[in-house]
Amino acid sequence: MTEEKAPHQAEIRLKPLWILAQSGDEQAYAESLALMARQLRGYFRRRMPALVSDVEDLVQETLLAVHLQRGTYDANYPVTAWLLAIARHKLVDLWRRRGRRESLHDDLDDLDGLPMLEEHADVHASRDLSVLLQALPEPQRQAIELTKLEGLSIAEASTRTGLSESSIKVLVHRGLKRLSKLVKE
Amino acid sequence: MDTNQLISVLSRGAGPAPTSAVPRRLIPASVAGLMASVLLSASLLGLLSAESFLQPITWVKLGYAMALALAAGLLTTALAKPVSRLGGPSKLLFAVVIAMVMGGIVTFALVPNADKNAAVFGQTWLSCSWTLMAFSLPALLGILLALRTLAPTRLTQAGWASGLLAGGLGALGYALACPESSPTFVAIWYTLGIFLTGLIGRLIAPMALRW
Repeated sequence: MTEEKAPHQAEIRLKPLWILAQSGDEQAYAESLALMARQLRGYFRRRMPALVSDVEDLVQETLLAVHLQRGTYDANYPVTAWLLAIARHKLVDLWRRRGRRESLHDDLDDLDGLPMLEEHADVHASRDLSVLLQALPEPQRQAIELTKLEGLSIAEASTRTGLSESSIKVLVHRGLKRLSKLVKE
Repeated sequence: MDTNQLISVLSRGAGPAPTSAVPRRLIPASVAGLMASVLLSASLLGLLSAESFLQPITWVKLGYAMALALAAGLLTTALAKPVSRLGGPSKLLFAVVIAMVMGGIVTFALVPNADKNAAVFGQTWLSCSWTLMAFSLPALLGILLALRTLAPTRLTQAGWASGLLAGGLGALGYALACPESSPTFVAIWYTLGIFLTGLIGRLIAPMALRW
């Protein structure tokens, strides 16, 4: 019963936040991502019991994908369906990379059967993103650090670095993209 | 970095979501693929004479290729997103192919018996589908690379759609050099060439579209 209700409730909470987030509300965006992280954690944990240590890595990888691909969300459809499709893609991709060792009995078709249940838990990935950040090319790393970690606006980061505002935006985007690739390795 | 930190990194200064992310990637890739096909036609086969463009058959070929590329383009656009409806574009795609096949059958029936063989095989039936497919490959490469930067999750379908889109673009370029004059020929060999490109897309998509 609760299992059937869960995805519905998740949608009701997430959708209005997500719509605000899509239109540029940062606070709503952070809250949406936090809700999504909890749903993803529950989703992955149930599907990869033998790889619990990888769950948080996959949650982070999926959140990066959500961020980079948020332009592909169409407001006519449920956000949870969109999130689930991305999560499923990331999970299948992980299995492929691992040769699907631990999932041989798991039919891919079963993936959608289980509902998304939220899970609050340990939020520490085994991989440290701040270490990965060091692996980025200097300009991309700097752009991310200034705008994302120090919290400067694009304009401030532009004056600080002498780069144009649009190059800052491009550097941040490319940096996050590269980061999402590094996260997979 | 824990997940909460990642969330604050992602959300800080995120701004609004990009709009029309899909067309912004697919349209340039399609235009480049079309140009590649036109250049291959012009350099390897030589373009048709100006008078050929006064004949309806040239416009049948161009119209078929264009309609097919458009329908497959809509389908590819839908498949570049994790969640979208495919019914409309798929039906349009089938309708375009069926219309061309029907046209091919009707004209075949109307052609005098002595010319029926020529209507089906023309001069170039052995090379048409293969050449068309070869001219579509640059477009297929570009479209798959564009799709990789988006979020396709239904990979085999996305592969079919990209292949058919590339096939339509390849056919558009190929039609500028193709000397054949029968709609029946177009219905058979163009369709086969486009289908082959779709098949290649379908076969390589699961590997090519990892993101």
